[in-house]
Amino acid sequence: MLEILKGITLEIKSGESVAIVGASGSGKSTLLGLLAGLDEASDGRVIIGDTDLGELDEDARALFRGREVGFVFQSFQLLPALTALENVMLPLELQGQSDAKEQAEQFLARVELGERMLHYPKQMSGGEQQRVAIARAFAAAPRILFADEPTGNLDTRTGAHIVDLLFELNREQGTTLVLVTHDMTLAERCQRRLVLDAGELVEG
Amino acid sequence: MSVTATRMLARDWRGGELGILAMALVLAVGVVSGISAFTSRLQGALEQESHRFLAADLVVRSSREMPVDWLEQASDGGLEVATTLAFPSMIYGASDAMQLVSVKAVSSAYPLRGDLTFSSEPFGEARAVTSGPAAGDVWLDSRLFPLLDISLGQSITLGDASFKVTGAVRGEPDQAAGMYGYGPRLLMNYADIDSTGVVQPGSRVEFRHLYAGDADALQQHREQLEPQLQPGQRLIDINQGQPGIGKALARAESFLLLAGSLGVVLAGVAIALAAGRFSERHNDYVAIMKSLGATSGSINFLYGRSLLLLGGIATVAGCLLGWGIQALFFKLFADQLPIKPGPGGMRPYLIGSATALTCLMSFAWPPLRRLSLASPLRVLRRDMPMETRRSARDYLIGLVAISALMLWYSGDWKLTAAVISGLFITVSLGMVLAMTLLKGGRIVGMSAGSIWRLALAGLQRRGTANSLQVVIFAMAIMLLLVLVLVRTSLIDEWKTQLPEDAPNHFMINIGPQDLQPVEQMLREEGVPSEALYPMIRGRIMAVNDEALPSTREVEDGPRQRETNLTWSTVLPTGNELTAGEWWPEDTTEALVSVEAEFAQRMGIGVGDKVSFLVGAQPLEATVANLRQLDWQSMRPNFFLVFPPDVLASYPATFMTSFHLDAENKVFLNRFIRSFPTVTVIEMDLVIDQVRSIVNQVSAAVELVLAVILATGALVLVAGVQASVDARMHESSILRALGARRSLILGGLFIEFAALGLFAGVLATVAAELSVAILQIWVLEMTYAPSPWLWPLGLSVGTALIAGLGVFSCRKVVSSPPVALLREL
Repeated sequence: MLEILKGITLEIKSGESVAIVGASGSGKSTLLGLLAGLDEASDGRVIIGDTDLGELDEDARALFRGREVGFVFQSFQLLPALTALENVMLPLELQGQSDAKEQAEQFLARVELGERMLHYPKQMSGGEQQRVAIARAFAAAPRILFADEPTGNLDTRTGAHIVDLLFELNREQGTTLVLVTHDMTLAERCQRRLVLDAGELVEG
Repeated sequence: MSVTATRMLARDWRGGELGILAMALVLAVGVVSGISAFTSRLQGALEQESHRFLAADLVVRSSREMPVDWLEQASDGGLEVATTLAFPSMIYGASDAMQLVSVKAVSSAYPLRGDLTFSSEPFGEARAVTSGPAAGDVWLDSRLFPLLDISLGQSITLGDASFKVTGAVRGEPDQAAGMYGYGPRLLMNYADIDSTGVVQPGSRVEFRHLYAGDADALQQHREQLEPQLQPGQRLIDINQGQPGIGKALARAESFLLLAGSLGVVLAGVAIALAAGRFSERHNDYVAIMKSLGATSGSINFLYGRSLLLLGGIATVAGCLLGWGIQALFFKLFADQLPIKPGPGGMRPYLIGSATALTCLMSFAWPPLRRLSLASPLRVLRRDMPMETRRSARDYLIGLVAISALMLWYSGDWKLTAAVISGLFITVSLGMVLAMTLLKGGRIVGMSAGSIWRLALAGLQRRGTANSLQVVIFAMAIMLLLVLVLVRTSLIDEWKTQLPEDAPNHFMINIGPQDLQPVEQMLREEGVPSEALYPMIRGRIMAVNDEALPSTREVEDGPRQRETNLTWSTVLPTGNELTAGEWWPEDTTEALVSVEAEFAQRMGIGVGDKVSFLVGAQPLEATVANLRQLDWQSMRPNFFLVFPPDVLASYPATFMTSFHLDAENKVFLNRFIRSFPTVTVIEMDLVIDQVRSIVNQVSAAVELVLAVILATGALVLVAGVQASVDARMHESSILRALGARRSLILGGLFIEFAALGLFAGVLATVAAELSVAILQIWVLEMTYAPSPWLWPLGLSVGTALIAGLGVFSCRKVVSSPPVALLREL
């Protein structure tokens, strides 16, 4: 078996913002997948709040993600079949919230897309799509938000705007933010920076 | 979630896979319900038609008068009853003109089913009447008026009584029935029989009791009669009605069932392909939804619900299509149909819906169910393996489902086994062959130009996927070829069986002195006829010196039998030897040639010694050979044929058959006037009826074939689409690297054309094999290879797949490569 991550001990406090930086292939995505409960560790434990993710099966982890975890991805990961509004409604509906539509509208207005709620992802620019993704991530009021290279597919200006938005919302909602990037300027804005090098983590 | 499910379904429609899935379902349901409604309605119609042929629902035939009790019991049981009596007799008209006629006396209730037609003057306008002539009156065949030189209102003499001629009889529903249906008809009232004094004990007559009514009462009456029947008395029902139509129809039904089953196989494949691609494309969606907190259960619920919704819509549409297919058919051909189609009922649509449900559960659900297993990690890493590989269990479920459906429709395990094993062999041999062909293609491509190298390398790179694709294409093309082939030979056989100029009249009782004049008249009038065969009544008495039991003692099996003997120097036209050899033309040996089925019934084989009684003289002959012949050919057919020398000393009359168009029927008047002793049997009405039914059934076969072709095309589209994503991706990279449009399109064309060509080769071989199996074992026809299949199979395969493939990938050269790479 290939060991990708080695002896990582990491504690992130509630409300903290942390950047994980490292070169391609250093294991960033693997670490993120484990932290967010998208993947199971072959060894070791991941605990969020009081929950040990290793003790949950895939379905229980899915429910946990829906309740506690939000995501923003490099490639946005919007469902192309749904409008911006429906994309934001999706996690709320999955939680069974009855006012999903109102909440979603509110968040889309917050990311300045109130006029484009009925557009499909294909009809939007990269920056707009990422704003929809941010609205979706915060709509479910997660305790912890994972962002995977959120500006990786965007030009510098749009990227900066997205980052501002991300941090604003993070402050407003009091969310814990874990950000994976190789962009040092972005990393600088976080309270803590961790460098992942060949599977080993050092505080930077 | 519910809004989202419907919403996603609607939007996914644009992805194309759902369209194919739904179309395949609609076609499967349409084909199955349409065929089933069509055959059940046609069967209903034919049942009616057969009743018409009997003029009743149930008939008892007897050479002696039957107890009146039988009729009374039937009346008490609520059945309608009628009696008829038929016999040949001589009648006399004015100025002593005489004529042998076929007399039929009918009670006033006759006919119970079908129409008796009548015209108030000879050759006048025919109309249906509810009963025959009143007592004291007779109706004559129009032809008899000039023959007897009489007109309406004059009298004719039959035996001791004379009757007033009050009209012309034009048609009886049971015209063709009975052994004394020869010669022009005289129809009279049953009550007048006694006064004529012509019917004596021992006369050659046929009594009939006709019964009609509801099925239960008929069954009860039948059970009462059966134990009371004497030798020489027989129950006749619709099953003995029309063997000619029956055989054609049974084959047509087998064909339609086969077509329906293959249609479902094709639809199943299309559904599986479309669902597979749908699931592949939705892997990412599922990963996103899972990352947002959707559980496997909620994913299953979402897709299951979408599938059911889609299935429901497609089933309704499919039932409408099926209804449309059969309605269209009956509407288009209503005029030609001598019969009214029966009701279809709900059963066909239930069968269709059950098919939809089975197809969904066994073809579409397995790949969709696996969607819920997609890893949420795909949101971070696109290189995660997809959970779309089909397991052996999926194939097994599909195979079992298809076999069960096929068995359910056809109720014929032989047909089911033939098709399933054919498919199995095609698929497994196909995989091996396809891989070999693809490898060979790559080796050839190495030394070719860049465009070829590109294309053929592409083929080999996705070896297994491409082999599977070749096999799927081959299967679709094969099934279509099989249907086209079977349909062609089926219709050809029907047409050759009853060609337009098939003999439709028989002429018997030609005396030796009339032989040459008759031949001459037929020739001069340009009437095409078969050879004249001598006919000698003889009785088969013993086989290998072992006396046979008499007819009175045994009903079936080897027994004494009276039959017609003939002689010939050559094997009669349309006959085929199955054992032994035909004799030399000048043989003087006492030999006999026996019809194969007759030989089997009588327990006779080649080399056996058979003893006959001809008149009062004994005759012995050794069986030289067995012959097979087609009783529906309307040619003179004989159980027993001898060398001329053997029968030369016995008195013979001659017979032949000939073709006469409706407009030339007046020839019969001249002929009968010239040869009053010759009996002409008119079969043209019956043959026309058989032909028109066969024509309609052929049209039905064509219609169903067209629908199946559409299903096959759908499989090809689904198959091409299944590989479009991967090919688009590669082509986009090539374009980004600067490849010209022509290079990419050319490469794609060659790639798909090669796939199509390989599929065509496989399909043609498999089709030829399956058709051989089907024709020999299932449809019981003779197999002949079809060389034209090769150019057809290869060109259709290559052209269709190449065309569809390039069309499906055309986007790759029309959009900027960056957009494509981002999208894919």
